[in-house]
Amino acid sequence: MATADVPHVSRVRATEASLRLAFQMFVADPQWLIPSMIAPVVFGLVAFELFQGAGPDFLTYAILGAGMMSMWGQTLYGSGWAIGQDREFGTLEPTVQSPTPYVYVVLGRVLWNVVSGLAGGGIVYLVVLAVAGAPPALPDPLGFVALFLFVMLTLAAVGILFSAAWVYTRYSGFIQNVGEFAFYVGTGCMFPVVILPFWTNPIALVFPPTWALDALRYLAIPGYVGFAWGFWPDLLGAVATTVVYVAVAGAIFRRVELHVLAKGNLSDY
Amino acid sequence: MTNVPAIEVRGLTRVFESRKGFLFREVSRTEALRGLDLTVEPEAIFGLLGPNGAGKTTLVKILSTLLLPSTGTALVLGHDVVEESAWLRPRIGLVLGGERGLYNRINARDNLRYFADLYGIPPHEREHRIDEVLERVGLEGAADRRVEEYSRGMKQKLHIARGILHRPQVLFLDEPTIGLDPKSARETRKLVRSLVSDGVTIFLTTHYMFEAEELCPEIAVMSKGRIVARDTVAGLRQLVGGDRTLEAEAYGFEDREVDAIRHLPGVSKVVSEEYGPRTRLTVRLRSLETTPDQVVATLPGHPELAVRERRTSLEDVYLDLVEEEAP
Repeated sequence: MATADVPHVSRVRATEASLRLAFQMFVADPQWLIPSMIAPVVFGLVAFELFQGAGPDFLTYAILGAGMMSMWGQTLYGSGWAIGQDREFGTLEPTVQSPTPYVYVVLGRVLWNVVSGLAGGGIVYLVVLAVAGAPPALPDPLGFVALFLFVMLTLAAVGILFSAAWVYTRYSGFIQNVGEFAFYVGTGCMFPVVILPFWTNPIALVFPPTWALDALRYLAIPGYVGFAWGFWPDLLGAVATTVVYVAVAGAIFRRVELHVLAKGNLSDY
Repeated sequence: MTNVPAIEVRGLTRVFESRKGFLFREVSRTEALRGLDLTVEPEAIFGLLGPNGAGKTTLVKILSTLLLPSTGTALVLGHDVVEESAWLRPRIGLVLGGERGLYNRINARDNLRYFADLYGIPPHEREHRIDEVLERVGLEGAADRRVEEYSRGMKQKLHIARGILHRPQVLFLDEPTIGLDPKSARETRKLVRSLVSDGVTIFLTTHYMFEAEELCPEIAVMSKGRIVARDTVAGLRQLVGGDRTLEAEAYGFEDREVDAIRHLPGVSKVVSEEYGPRTRLTVRLRSLETTPDQVVATLPGHPELAVRERRTSLEDVYLDLVEEEAP
C-alpha cells in the first residue's frame, strides 16, 4: 500500500453516501418505526376526527395538515437525531475530520429524512382515504406535485439549520422538542394560522413551510382563504424564507465547525 | 524522502475551559498543553509516551485538525493545521480507537464504504481498496457482519482499516493496541511497521513501554502538557542515569545505608519504595564500576537481602521522568 495521490472529493457523492448511511441506519434500527409508521396513522386519524363533517374540501385540508405534521416530525427529529447519533456513536469526530465539508453530510441525512417524511405523508393520505373516502380531485395535479416537492425543500432547509444546532452542542434536544410543537401550532399545519392570536403570526411567518403549505392549500382547495395575500405572495414568501434559511445554514456551518473545534466538544455526548 | 518535517510544532498551548452552574457560573481552566515544541521526521515511527492527562490525545487531535490550539503553531507536512486543514485532511489519517467511533448497526464494509466516499476514493477503486485494508487488518472474513457483533479487538482493527483506507501520508495512532489481546496487539504492531515501509509517517501514542521500545526509533515522554525528554531508547536510558539497574530488597533500610549506596562509584540515582513489609531500592548505574556484590557488602545485617541486576527498561526511564515532573 503506497500513499495515494489525493483524489477530488465529490460533494454529490458525499451527500449520496450520507443519505445511504442514514437509510442503512434507519433500516437497522426498529425504533424508527414509531415516528415513521405509527405517528402518521395517529395524525391521520386525529385529522379525520377533527374535520369530519366539515365538507370534502376540509378533507384535503386535513390530509395536507396531518401529512405536514408527519413530515415535519420526521425532518426535525430525523435531522437532529442523525447528528445526535453521530455524537452518541463517537462518529462525529472521524466524519468532521474527513475532507468532506460537514454541511454535505448533514444534507444527505436531511434528504433521507425528507424522503422518509414523504412516506409518512403518504401513510396519512392512505389512512384518511381508508376512513373517509377519497378527497376531491385536485384542480391542478402537476402544479400540486411541483409545489409539493418545493414544500419538501423548505422542510430540508429548516432541517439543515436545526442540524447545525446539534453540531454546535449536545444540548440541542430541547430546541428540537420545543420546536416541534411550536411548529405544529405556529405554522397552521392543523389549524389555520389566522385563528391564532395576531402576535403569533410573525413567528409563523419565520418558517418557510408556513408559506409553502398555505400556497399548497390555495392550489388544492378551491375557495380556500388562508393568508390574506393569496397564492403568489405565499409562494414568494416560501421562496424568500427558504433562500434565507439555506444561506444562513451555509454561512454558519463553517463557523459552527470552528466553534466546536475551538471548544473541543465533538466527542461529547 | 522530502526535507520538510512531517510534523513541526512551536510553542503550542491548549487551554480547556469548563463551566459549571446556571445562575452563578463557575469557569475552570485546564492547561492541557504548555508551550510544546516538537519536530518529527518523515517516514518513521515517532512514539509519544505519557501518563493519563499528560496531553497526548489533545496533541493528536490538534495535529489531526480536530481541535484548535490556544496559541502556537503546528504544521503537518509543512501545512498549518488551522489555516490549511482542508489541504491536510485527505493526507492524514487518525485512529482514536476504543468502543466508539463506528456505526455499530451496520457492517464493516458499509462503514468503510461511507468513509471511502467522504474521502473521495474513486468509485472504481473503492471496493478493491476496502478489500485490501480489510485483508491487511485481518477482518476479511468478518466484513459483512454488523460491527456491534465485533469484539473490542476487531473494532480496533476496523478503526485502523478506516484510518489507512485513503492511504494517508501521516497516520496518527492514539493508543492503538489498548484493550487488545496479545496476538491482536502483535499483529497491529506488525501492521504499523509495514505501513512505515510503505512511506507512511506514524505518530504513535501509547502506554505500553515495550511497544514504544519495539516500534519507535525515537521517543518523547510527555508530562503535564510538556515534552520532558526526547531521544532514542538508549539515549533516554543515559538521560535517567544509565542502562544498568540493580534492585535490592529487604525488610527496610536505614537512611545511612541508602546514603552509602548513593555514594558508590557510578551510581546516578537511588529510589526507595515500600512493598508491604519489604523495601526495594532501585539503583541506577552509569558504569560497570559497581557490582551486585558491592551492594551486598554495603548492606550488612540483612540476611534476607536479595539483589538482582537488570537492564534499565524504558518503563524505568518513563517513571523516572514522569516522577521528576510530579509536584
